[in-house]
Amino acid sequence: MAASLVRSTLGCQFARFLRPSLITAAGQTQSQRGVKRYMRAYLKELYNRRLRVGPEKLRHRSEFMNWNYNAEIYAFGKRLGEEFSNDSLQAAFTHRSYIEAEEARRADLGIDVASAPLGLTDNSELTQKGEETASRYIKAYLRSSYPTMFEEAIVAIHDHLMSDDTLSHIASHIGIGDLMLCSDFPPEESTLSKNFLAVVGALETDKGVKRAESLVRDLVLAQLVGKELMELWSVTNPMGLLMAVLDSQGRGPPEPRLQWQAGQRTIMAVYQVGIYSDKQLIGQSAGERVTIAEDMAAQDALQRMMGIGSGHMPLTFRTEADKMELRYDPKNISAEELMQTYELRQKENSVS
Amino acid sequence: MSNRAIPNAFVKNVLQNGLGRYICQLQRVTLNFCKATPSSLGTRDFIEKYLVDFTRENPGTVVYVKPIRNRAPFLVAEYLNGRQERVSTKDMPADEVCKWLEHLRTRSGAQIVNLRKEWLTNTPSIQGVWHPFLNKNPSLAGTSFPAPELYGAKTESKSATDMVLEEAGVKKVGSVDSASSKE
Repeated sequence: MAASLVRSTLGCQFARFLRPSLITAAGQTQSQRGVKRYMRAYLKELYNRRLRVGPEKLRHRSEFMNWNYNAEIYAFGKRLGEEFSNDSLQAAFTHRSYIEAEEARRADLGIDVASAPLGLTDNSELTQKGEETASRYIKAYLRSSYPTMFEEAIVAIHDHLMSDDTLSHIASHIGIGDLMLCSDFPPEESTLSKNFLAVVGALETDKGVKRAESLVRDLVLAQLVGKELMELWSVTNPMGLLMAVLDSQGRGPPEPRLQWQAGQRTIMAVYQVGIYSDKQLIGQSAGERVTIAEDMAAQDALQRMMGIGSGHMPLTFRTEADKMELRYDPKNISAEELMQTYELRQKENSVS
Repeated sequence: MSNRAIPNAFVKNVLQNGLGRYICQLQRVTLNFCKATPSSLGTRDFIEKYLVDFTRENPGTVVYVKPIRNRAPFLVAEYLNGRQERVSTKDMPADEVCKWLEHLRTRSGAQIVNLRKEWLTNTPSIQGVWHPFLNKNPSLAGTSFPAPELYGAKTESKSATDMVLEEAGVKKVGSVDSASSKE
């Protein structure tokens, strides 16, 4: 019983010491005199000592023997299917913190920094360039894909895509983590996301805006697939916005109607509410209470108007996306403005 | 049959790979081998004959060749998700090493576990998921129950029996008409 417990904890490789017949590595059986009774205690002690020492220290990939920085940089460019110039890619991966740390180290060692400069350019310029390109393209792509979407929603989706969370996740999964030259290890999310934008900037410098935009589309905009876009934009008053939108379009006001209800006196109560404008159904949803259902139905109506939600066209990628004609400057309709205009009109009507 | 203790996962595609462009997930591969021992013979042959072609075809993967004296040969594949896979190439001929390298090249780096579903989709339902109110007649919402007129089986068209009885001039016994006429 105890032997089997030790065997299970120490792994089957040690089990051969605990059996009277010794099984060699080749799988053949050799007979031996008795069982070495000290072996179990010895192996158990070794195991516990290893646990006490603690886990293996986290090391940067470059500390291992099989590492060639130039080869890794070259492979990074090829992996993305792009032709980078070595200089711009090297600059993209060099962070300000690394240069400062290196200069401090050299100063400590007594090397005069002015006479023997490092000759490294940091990636701040490329990061800024990449951020501008990515930001501009994401907004233009979203405006083009969803022409009826409110500007606030587009900004919300853009902010989500350009957040440190998203960009660092993308960066770590294309191999930027190992290539970064920075003072922090393990790499911070902000460093990873800045580095990704620097790579976009480097591609723009080498191959132009179109290729950089293509990279942003394939890596960043692709993360929207399968995501609920309405969750990214929080609407505080969906019914109010819906009223303003319908009024601006000259359509009838939204009328919520209870369509179905079941299990009212139970905890699993469900109410389905539909919103009608000029007796046409524009949105419907179910909810635990009537107020929740009405709120959700208003959101459903807004979703349908913006062209998002299930049943609507997916985003375009690849050659189709290259052919897209994007409007960079003109913004979409603003929800805030609509609400303000509606409120003004209501005041005028009430006064008159 | 379904055991929570056995590791399992749904199929996943990190970063929506392939939607825009395909990025080979094999980041780097290290070939460890001995220059002398016979168990590394196949690996040495592979390095001589096929390795350079492999590197030309896969410029996005860094290949390291690491001779280690008196040890059995093995491949170590490192993936973009940070995982490593080891394959022992001891006593393998060169073409088998080739096959294993091809297997490692085409993997995503995710751990091999039981797949709960063979597919991954963002649109599992095309026409919309069914719910109890979907195909109900809206007039039911405004109906007050009990409503005996709704309790019979719906007969939208005449059955063969009805036609025969009509021909014979006999009223069908047990029909809704006969019940209401009795009342």
